This record gives sequence, C-alpha cells and structure tokens, in this order.
Amino acid sequence: MADMPLWLNFIIAFLIMNILLVGMAYMTYYERKVLAAMQDRMGPMRSGPKGLLQPLADGVKLLGKEDLIPAAADKWVFWFAPLIVFVTAVVGVAVIPFGGTIHVFGQDINLFITDLNVGALFVLAFGSIGVYGIILGAYASANRYSLLGGLRSAAQVISYEIILGLSLVGIFILTGSLSLREIQLAQQGTISIFGLDVSNWYVITQPVAFIIFMIAAVAETNRAPFDLPEAETELVSGFHTEYSAFRFSFYFLGEYISMIVISLFASTLFLGGTSGPGSGEYWGLGIVWLLVKTILFLFFYIWLRATLPRFRYDQLMGIAWKVLLPAVLLNIMLTALTRLRGNGQISSGQLVAVIAVTVGVLVLIWGLNQLSNRWADAESA
Amino acid sequence: MPWDFVAFMLLAAICVICAGGVVASANPIHSGIFLGICFIHVAGIFVMLGAEFLAVVQVIVYTGAILVLLLFVLMLVDPDALPEFTSAHPVQRTVAVLLGMVLLLEVSVAILGRTVKGVASNATPENIALVGGNTQALGRSLYTEYLLPFEIASLVLTVGVIGAIVLAMPERLGARVRRRGTISLGHPRGTDLVLPEGVRGESPIPDSAAELETGLPSRREVIMVGNARDYTTVGRGRQ
Repeated sequence: MADMPLWLNFIIAFLIMNILLVGMAYMTYYERKVLAAMQDRMGPMRSGPKGLLQPLADGVKLLGKEDLIPAAADKWVFWFAPLIVFVTAVVGVAVIPFGGTIHVFGQDINLFITDLNVGALFVLAFGSIGVYGIILGAYASANRYSLLGGLRSAAQVISYEIILGLSLVGIFILTGSLSLREIQLAQQGTISIFGLDVSNWYVITQPVAFIIFMIAAVAETNRAPFDLPEAETELVSGFHTEYSAFRFSFYFLGEYISMIVISLFASTLFLGGTSGPGSGEYWGLGIVWLLVKTILFLFFYIWLRATLPRFRYDQLMGIAWKVLLPAVLLNIMLTALTRLRGNGQISSGQLVAVIAVTVGVLVLIWGLNQLSNRWADAESA
Repeated sequence: MPWDFVAFMLLAAICVICAGGVVASANPIHSGIFLGICFIHVAGIFVMLGAEFLAVVQVIVYTGAILVLLLFVLMLVDPDALPEFTSAHPVQRTVAVLLGMVLLLEVSVAILGRTVKGVASNATPENIALVGGNTQALGRSLYTEYLLPFEIASLVLTVGVIGAIVLAMPERLGARVRRRGTISLGHPRGTDLVLPEGVRGESPIPDSAAELETGLPSRREVIMVGNARDYTTVGRGRQ
C-alpha cells in the first residue's frame, strides 16, 4: 500500500464515491428493468432512449415534491434521521479494494480509499449505525404506526447483523486477517478439488457461510422477502411513512447504496473481488470483474424481490434466531476444527471426538425439546 | 499544525458536550442520541490510541446493539408505570447538590493530585507487531490467559438473556399485554395535542347521531391551553 499525498487520496475517494452515487441512481433503473423483464413487460421506456434517463427524471421529481413535516414531529431528529442512513451507507465503500497499487503518471496510486486492518468490521460497524436512522426516523414521525414499523425493522436489522458478522468469522479464520485487501489476496491462491486447480475463492471453501451471508444481507438491507416493515401493504409504509420528497429519497437511495456496498463486500469476501482472467496484467480488467460480480449479486437481490412472497415478522425473526444462528455457529466450529486439523494441531481422533460430542449434545437438546413439548401437550390436554 | 492534537481535541470536546447533553436534555430520546454520538467519538479516541479493533467493536456492540435496545425500551415503556422523577423537597435537593460537589472534589483531587500508575504489561507495540496486529494480540490473550473470565462472562450474559425472556413472558401465552397508546416518552400522550396554545381545532370526523344525543360537548373540538406538561403523566408517577 503506497503512501499517497492527501490530495490524491481525496481524488480517489471523490471518484469512488461519485461512481457509487451514479451506480445507485442507475441501480433504480436496473431494478425496474429487471423486474419488468421478469414480469413480462418493458419497464421505463419513455425518458430518454430505452428509458435510460429515468433516474434523472426521478431525481428531479423527488427534489420538486413538497416537503412535509408533521406538526408534532421532533424537527431536529426528523431532519437528522435520513441522513444517518444515507451517510453510513456511503462510508462503507471506503474499505472495498478495487485493485492493488498501480503506477501511473509517475505516482503510486492505491485503487482503494483505505485499507484498514479491521476493514471487514468497519463495514459492519457502519451498518450498525445505520439502524439509528430507522429508529430515530420512526420516533420523530410522531406516528404510532411508524414507530411500530421502525422498531420492527430495527429489531430485524440488529438480529441479522449478528448473523452477518458471525458468517464472516469462518473467512477470518481461514485468512488470518480482518483486512479486506488481505482477504482478497488470500483468494488468489489455488486449491485443488478433485484434481482441478481453482482459485481459492471462499464461496468454495465456505459454502454454508456464503448462503447464510446472502440471506442475512438481504434481511439487513430490508429487502424482499424480508421487507415486512416497509412493505406497502403493511403499516402504510413503515418508518418512512411521514417522509416525503428528498427526505424519503435519502431512505430510499440509502437502501440502494447499502445494497450496492453489501454486494461489493460479498464479491470481495466470497468471490475473490477483482480477481478473474486477465486481472493480473490489467488493473482495469480487475475493476471490471469486481463490477460484474457486484451486478450479479444485485441481480440476485432483484430476482428475490420479483419472485418471493414476504415473510411474516415472526417467521423472519424465527429464521434468524432458530435456524441461521445455530447454523452459523456450527459453521464456525467446523471451520476452526478443520483448520486445526489441517495445521496438525489436533489429531483425527480429537476431531472425531469433538464432532461426536457436539452431535450428541444437539441430539440431546432436540430430544429434551420433544419431551417437553409432549409434556406440555399432555398437561394442557 | 499537529493534526493528532487537533483531532483529539475535536473528538474529546464533542464527547464532553454530548455527555453534557445526555444529562441536560429534557427528552429522553435526545439523551439517547447524544449518548450514541458520544460513543462514536470515544471509538474515534480508541483509534487514536491504536486500538482499532476495540473501536469497531465499540461501535458495533455498544452503539449498534446496546444503545439501540436502550432506545427500544425508552420508546415502549409505559409512562404511567414510571416513578416520580422530580422532587421539589428542598432538603433533598440541597443534600443532593452537596453530595455531588463532594464527589466532584474527590475525583478532581484523585486526578490532579496523584499520578495513576499501573503494572507495565508486555503488550508493547513491538510485541503486538510480532503477533500480527492488535486483533491477533487481543484474541490470543483473551483465549489463553483470560479464558475463564471470558467463559464466565458469556455464561452471565446467557443467563441475563434467559432471565429477560422469562420476565417478559405473560402468565398465559394468550394474555394481552396492556399498553397505553403512547408514542414514546418524548411526546405528550398521543398525537392529539398538535395545536399551539389556545387554538381551536376541529377533527374532520363529524359526531355521530348517537353522540349528539348524549348532550356532551362535541368531540370535534381540540383545545390546548396551558402547559403541555399538564397533558402528560411522564414523571408524575402512577395516576
């Protein structure tokens, strides 16, 4: 990582942030087009050729709407809450590596804003702060239904945040570092499966963590099928009912930016980030590969929205705490045991013993649960 | 211009101002917001001290989970169930102020009069760099030297969670939890009181025939006179 002068750092940050913002605007267009294609219609076609200027039209519309503040609303908090969501979503992109260090125009330029040695947790931390935007927006609206919707949404987000963080622990064990650049570099080694030499992408070595991460990521950004708190048919519009015009667009666009940042994050963590054929020689191709993987994840998000019905709130929370949390903890345990076995720090006998004890305890718990259900039924019958 | 001095001064100043805001705000939700800002600036100070893992954990756990749950409680608690907050009794107030000043004096003497000494640990920057960084060093010491306290702490937290669930469960699973229709501690009861003092307003829903028959004053008029405090029971105990 080269030591860049401050103005160069600023230019890189400015560029990346602007690309993110333009990407967010066209993400709305992409979503509408993909949803339309899945629903056998055309999507926006009128504003500009093939509707490409639709985001511009949307922006102008949102800027021009009347900005209503409810009379009983807490003005400062009402003003402040959407900004939290938007800003914390954008800041997450600061640690995503878009490449290594290149040497152009006589300067060493880093293709990332910064490389913190706790980079992965940085993204999670800013996701955690984003919850405040929801809670405070719900509170400031002076509306009982907004408050309830906001609290539901916040409870959902903090539950899935735990799962999001825990699903990454397997990757941290395998890499030995929390830095996103290190994680991306570690995926450029090769492993051989069944005689085939493939890149050590963590989607192959941590498939369970990948699936759990994707589910948690969808729930974290309040996207379908986990969007009960802000669905149009429930609680009016949830926590952003009372927000209009540009304040609403902060929430709305903040959600899209958060989707893009999590997709970038997932591409870096699980799919090797900028690595792909030809990315070693040309740094431009590396960026292209990263964008391709991100767009793939965004397509997956939109696909889920188009096809799945939403979960009821108790089902949603049940999945997080009763299914995903045990699964992710088991994943961590298995990864750690495999790593220890691979390093030769424990013997096969110990490995088998630990797994047997775990399975035994789980069966015991399941058995006790069944027994207690039988007793409860017998009592109430 | 020593940038780290400026940065520290900024972080510390905002921290202290927000801590003052926590104590001085009338609205408990505003207190919570100020506390959150204070925590984030404390995380900034941790970064300046070279404890970046602790800084992100501070944000994720303290700000992002504990304070969020605190705000949940503030928004869902039944204001009628709260005890009295203010006591106008003069003796109690004087004693409270005196004791507060004594405490402040003690703390100032402790900080300014003596030097705080501790045992030098072997976690010097060289040793930490040897192990691979802050996070690694913390992980090692937590899982080797301090394993027992770590496990006990996790047990205590689990007991706390189970206790909370047991306490919050209603007697019978079908029992409805009685709750007043309040918005939160930050607002007077309900959304009815939106008009400034002395203004007459009208609800758009006309009185039904049955209501007109009773002869009581029309429900449509909403008049707010006097103090908003008279319209809330926050801080006035069980009524």
